[in-house]
Amino acid sequence: MMLLSSLVLLLSGVISGTLAKSSTGNTVLVVVETAKQSNYSKFFKGLENKGFDLTFREPKAESPVIIQDDVPSFSHVIVLASDAKNFAKDITPQTLIELTTLKTNLLIALSPKQTPLSSLAAEFSLILPTPGSVLYSYFPERADKPTVVPVNIPQTPITSQKGPVFFSGVPFALGDNPLLVPILNAPVEGFAAESTSAEVLVEAADRGGEGLWAGSRLGLVTGFQTLDGARVTWVGGPEVFSDEYAAKEGPNGVKAANAQFVQDVAAWTFQESLVLRVDKVNHFLANTTTSLEQYTTNDNIEFSAYISAYDAKTGTWAPYSGITDMQLEFTMLDPHIRTALLPVPGVPGKYSKTFRAPDRHGVFKFVINYKRKGYSYLQSSTIVPVVPPRHDGYPRFLSAAWPYYAGAISTSLGFFVFSALWLAGDSRPAKKGKAQKTE
Amino acid sequence: MPTAIPLPSNVSPATVANTASLLRIVALLLISGAAIASRLFAVVNFESVIHEFDPWFNYRATRVLASKGFYEFWNWFDPTAWYPLGRVVGGTVYPGLMATSGVIYNILHSLNLPVDIRNICVLLAPGFSALTAWATYMFTKEMKDESAGLLAAAFIGIVPGYISRSVAGSYDNEAIAIFLLMFTFFCWIKALKLGSALFGTVAAVFYFYMVAAWGGYAFITNMIPLHALVLILMGRFTSRLYVAYSSWYAIGTLASMQVPFVGFQPVRTSEHMAALGVFGLLQIIAFAELVRSHVSSQQFKRLLYISVAAIGVLGGLAFVGMTYKGWIAPWTGRFYSLWDTGYAKKYIPIIASVSEHQPTAWPSFFMDLQFLIFLFPAGVVFCFRQLRDEHIFVIVYAVVASYFAGVMVRLMLTLTPVVCVASAVALSSLLDTYIDVREPEVAEEPATDNSTQGAAPTNGTNGSQATTPASATTTTKKAKKPAQPTSALGDLVSLVTSKTGKETVGVFGIDTRLTVILNALGMLVFFVFHCTWVTSSAYSSPSVVLASHGADGSMHIIDDFREAYYWLRQNTPQDAVVMSWWDYGYQIAGMADRPTLVDNNTWNNTHIATVGKAMASSEEVAYPILRKHDVDYVLVIFGGVLGYSGDDINKFLWMVRIAQGVWPDEIQEPNYFTPSGEYRVDERASQTMKDSLMYKMSYYRFAELYGGGPATDRVRNQQVPKVGPTLDYLEEAYTSENWIVRIYQVKKEDPLGRDHKTANSFTHGKKRKRSKPAPRRKAIAG
Repeated sequence: MMLLSSLVLLLSGVISGTLAKSSTGNTVLVVVETAKQSNYSKFFKGLENKGFDLTFREPKAESPVIIQDDVPSFSHVIVLASDAKNFAKDITPQTLIELTTLKTNLLIALSPKQTPLSSLAAEFSLILPTPGSVLYSYFPERADKPTVVPVNIPQTPITSQKGPVFFSGVPFALGDNPLLVPILNAPVEGFAAESTSAEVLVEAADRGGEGLWAGSRLGLVTGFQTLDGARVTWVGGPEVFSDEYAAKEGPNGVKAANAQFVQDVAAWTFQESLVLRVDKVNHFLANTTTSLEQYTTNDNIEFSAYISAYDAKTGTWAPYSGITDMQLEFTMLDPHIRTALLPVPGVPGKYSKTFRAPDRHGVFKFVINYKRKGYSYLQSSTIVPVVPPRHDGYPRFLSAAWPYYAGAISTSLGFFVFSALWLAGDSRPAKKGKAQKTE
Repeated sequence: MPTAIPLPSNVSPATVANTASLLRIVALLLISGAAIASRLFAVVNFESVIHEFDPWFNYRATRVLASKGFYEFWNWFDPTAWYPLGRVVGGTVYPGLMATSGVIYNILHSLNLPVDIRNICVLLAPGFSALTAWATYMFTKEMKDESAGLLAAAFIGIVPGYISRSVAGSYDNEAIAIFLLMFTFFCWIKALKLGSALFGTVAAVFYFYMVAAWGGYAFITNMIPLHALVLILMGRFTSRLYVAYSSWYAIGTLASMQVPFVGFQPVRTSEHMAALGVFGLLQIIAFAELVRSHVSSQQFKRLLYISVAAIGVLGGLAFVGMTYKGWIAPWTGRFYSLWDTGYAKKYIPIIASVSEHQPTAWPSFFMDLQFLIFLFPAGVVFCFRQLRDEHIFVIVYAVVASYFAGVMVRLMLTLTPVVCVASAVALSSLLDTYIDVREPEVAEEPATDNSTQGAAPTNGTNGSQATTPASATTTTKKAKKPAQPTSALGDLVSLVTSKTGKETVGVFGIDTRLTVILNALGMLVFFVFHCTWVTSSAYSSPSVVLASHGADGSMHIIDDFREAYYWLRQNTPQDAVVMSWWDYGYQIAGMADRPTLVDNNTWNNTHIATVGKAMASSEEVAYPILRKHDVDYVLVIFGGVLGYSGDDINKFLWMVRIAQGVWPDEIQEPNYFTPSGEYRVDERASQTMKDSLMYKMSYYRFAELYGGGPATDRVRNQQVPKVGPTLDYLEEAYTSENWIVRIYQVKKEDPLGRDHKTANSFTHGKKRKRSKPAPRRKAIAG
C-alpha cells in the first residue's frame, strides 16, 4: 500500500511537475450526474490543475467500482450526486465506511432530501434536521433568496482566505464526537426550517426558539478524521462547489470566496494540508547512542521522535518542529510519567525528552497520542520492558549494614582466636586439656 | 537344628555374603529399570511431549537456561508473562529442576552427545525415580535391613502415588524433589545415628538442593525439628542429636538463604520458626546438660530447669510478639488451608480453585497405594516395637503425612514414601518369619498355635511373636537383633555354618510357609498389575494431547490444544497479547510463544481477578478492560461438543468468585445461577450468565453446528438456545477441530469513534434511531 501510494506520488510528480498533490495519491472518483457535471467545472478544473486525476461516474453506473478485491480503486472519492435517491449497488453507506477504513478520503455533499447519505451522516455523529429542512438566513439584507446564505469564513488552519462563502443546503447539528473538525458553521442568524411560512416561525418564536435548529453551532461544512487517518468532509449542499456561486458577489460587492474555499476544503480532505507523520522514534540510555532492549528501573532514558509535515507545494515530507504542545507518556496500565515532548532547537523535526524511569519494573510503553483538530493524528507506541537491577547491579557495600559486617568480622576473629587458643591449649598440662575436652 | 528344607552345607560365609551383595545390586538395577520403564507409558502411548501446565513453564525456563547460561537465567525478566506487569523469573522460581536439566544438558553436550533439551526434560522424572528408589532403599535399610530396603525400593519404584507426579514428560519440581526428600531424610537419620557432623552437613547440602527445587521443602524444615523435639520430649537428648541437628540447621539454613526466591524467609516467616526454635532449645538443653555434668547440687539443678523453662516461655512470647509486630511474617493462607479445609474456599478462592488443593477422596488412597495402605499401619506398629530414634522419625512422618495427605490431594505425594517404607518393614518382617528355614524345637504345643494364628498376612503382631521369645532365649546373636539389625541372610549364614541356634518358637513345616509366602507373593503380583494398570490408564495422559477410544478399542488422538496454540504461533504478530484463564498461561507461553495476562504462577490475585471480571462481565464492560491491557486475542476452552469436562464453563464459577473477591459490587455469584439456584447454560440460564463474555464466547455459533436440530452441550447435558449469542466487540478468529479451543480477536476501536454495538448494527444494515442534538440551555424568552 505504502509502496503503491509512493509510486503514484512519483508518477504524478513526473506528470504534473511542481504542481500541488496529495500525500496519499492523486486518483479521484467523482460521483456526479453527467448533466450536472458542467455546473462544477471550475472546481474540477482547479483539482486537475493541482495534479489530480479525475474519473467521473454516474451514480447508477456500474463501473468503475470503488472497491475491487478489497483494494480501493481510488485515493479519494467525491460524492456530489446529492439528489440521487439510490446509487449503484457498490455505493452504499456500508461500502463508503469501508472505504474510510481503507484510508480513502471522502468529500460528500448532502441534500435536503432523504437519501442513503443521510443515514451515513448519522454514523459520523452528524445530526440532520427533518427531511426537507434547509438553511435560512435573512441577514445581511440582500437580493438573493434567504436560502442562499453568505457565510464568513472563520479563521482555522484549514481555510486561509477571507471573504464570504455562499452556501445553500442542509445545516446539521454536531454530535459530541471528538473526531469532528468544524470548518464552516452557520451564521448566528441562520436557522433550519422546512418552510418559512408564518405559522412555523411564530410557533417557534412562541417557544422562545426551543426546537428551532438555529445559530452558529450548526455545521455547514464539517470535516471528520477517522482514527485510521482517513478524512471525510461533509458539505450541506453541492452548490458551494458550483461555478455559479464562485462567480457571485457578496452583499457589499465583495467577491465570493467560494472558488478558493472549496479548493482549501478539498486540499484538507485529500491529505494535502495539515498532514503530519511520525517518521521514527528511538530511545537510548541518556548520554549514550546505543538502543537497549530493556532498561533498568531508575535509568535515565532519552526518548526522541522525528516528525515530518507534508509539503504539498513540493510533494515532499519535510521535518517539522512547529508542535509545542505534544506530550510523552511512559505507560504501564496507567501513565507513570507524563511529560512535555518539546522540539529540540537546532535539529528540525526532532522532539526529545530525557527522564528517569520509574522505580517499578514491568512492560512499559512510550506513548505519543497527539490529536488536534484538523491535523493528522500522531500516534506512536513503543514497548520496552523495565527490569529490576541485575544480581550484580546492586550496591555491594552499604554503610547501613556496618553492624552486620562488624558482627561477621568479630565472629570470624573470635573463631580464629578460639581455634588458636584451643590448639595451643593442647600442649598445656593434660589435666586442663581433659577438662576442656569434656565439653 | 531342624530346617524346613535341606540346606547346602558346603557354602562359605563369604560366598553367601558376596552373592547376597550381588543380588542386591542386581535387584536394585532391576527396580530402577522397572521404575523407569513403567513411566514411559506416556511416551509410548502418545509421544515425547511435555505434560500438563506447570511443566511447560519449567521447560521454557530450562530452554532459556540452556541457551543463555545460568547468570542470564538468574536475571531473566519475562516481559511476556503477566503482561504488562512482567515477571522477575530469576527471583520467583525454584531453579533446582532447571539447573539439574541444564547441568545434564551441558555434560551430554560436552561429551558430544547432541541430545535435545526437550528429551532431557521429558525423561528427567523417570531417571530421578530410579534415584528415589535407591534413596528409599538406603533409608529403609536404616530402619530394618537390606531386604526391607529392597522391598521399599520396589514399592516406591512403581507405586502410583509417586508415578502420578513423575511420568515421562511430567517435568515438574516434584520429579526431583521426592528423591531429595528421601535422601535428606536418610542423611539426617544417618547423622543422628552416628552423631556425625559430616552426615549432618551432607543432609544440609541436600536440603539446600531441595530448597532450590521445590516449595515443599518446608516439609523437611518442619519434619526434622519435629523429630528432634519429640526426641527431646522423650528424654532422648544426646550429643549425637545435638551435633546432627546443629550442623544440619546452621549450614542448611545459610545455604537455603542463597536461593533468591527464598531469601530471608528462613528467619522472617512463621513456617521456618519451628526449626529456629528447636535449634535454640537444643542449645539451651546442651548448655543445661553441660552445667549439670559439672554441678552436683540438687537445688541448683532445679533452679536450672526452672530457668530453662523460663527461657523457653520467654522465647515463645518473643516469637508471638514479633509476629504481632510484623517482624515475622504471619502464616500464609496456603498454610491455614492445611488446618482448615474450608478456609481457602472462604478467603482465598484462587487456592481453592486448584483441583489438586482439594481434600483427598478416600478411593484415591487405594488407587494410589493399593495394598500398601493396609500394610502401612502394621509397619508403623513395627516401628513402635523397636522404637529407636529413627523409628520415631518414621512414626512422626507417618502421622504428619497421613494428615496432610487427607487435606490436600497433591500432598499424597509426601505420604507415599513413608507408606512404602513402613509397608516394606511390615512385609519384610512377615517374609523374614516365614522364609526363615529354621524350625523350632519340638514338643512345645502353644508355640505352634501362636504361629498358626499369626498366619494372617496383614497381622502386624506376627513378627513380634516370632522374635520376642527369640530375644528372650539364650542365643547371643538373636539377643542383639533389636539393637543392631542384621540381615536375615546373616542369620542364615550363621545358621548354616554353626547350626547351634536353638528355636523354641517358629514355624513348622513347608506347607504353612508356602501358604503365607504364596499369599504375600500373590498380593505383590496383584500390586504390580494394579500399578501398571493405573499408570497406563490414569496417570500417563499428557492432558495436552487427549485420547478417546472408539467402540472397537481403537485410539483416536484429540490434538486440539496444540493445533490452536500453533495457529496462534503462526498467524498472529509476535507481540499479540492473549488473554485466557490462568490455567492455560504457561501452555500459551510455551507452545504459542505469545504474551499472556495471567498464568499458573498465580502471584497476583488482582490481575487474575481482572481477567475473571472480563470473562464474567458483559461485552460493554469487558471491552475497556481488554483494551487497557492491550489484549488482542481471547482464548477459551470449550468442551461442549466433545464432552471434555475440564472446560472454562465448568471453571467459570471460580472466575466469578475470584472477581467477586476484588469487585464485590460489580460481580456477584448468585447472579449467575437460575432463580432456583441451578447453574445452567440452556434457555433458563440467568441473563447475567447469558450476557457474560465467557458464555458468549463458548456458545457463539454453537447451535449452527447442529443445523437447526437440538444443540446439546455434552458436558452439562443441556440444550442451549437455538438462537445463539452474538458478539459485537470480538470476532471469532479460530476454532479448533473439536471446538475445544476457541480463539477470538478483540476488535480495535471503531475508526469513527462509535461503540462496536452501533457499528455492528450499521454494518448489518439496521436503521439507527434518529438522534437529536444534545439539549443546551434554554433560550431566555424575550
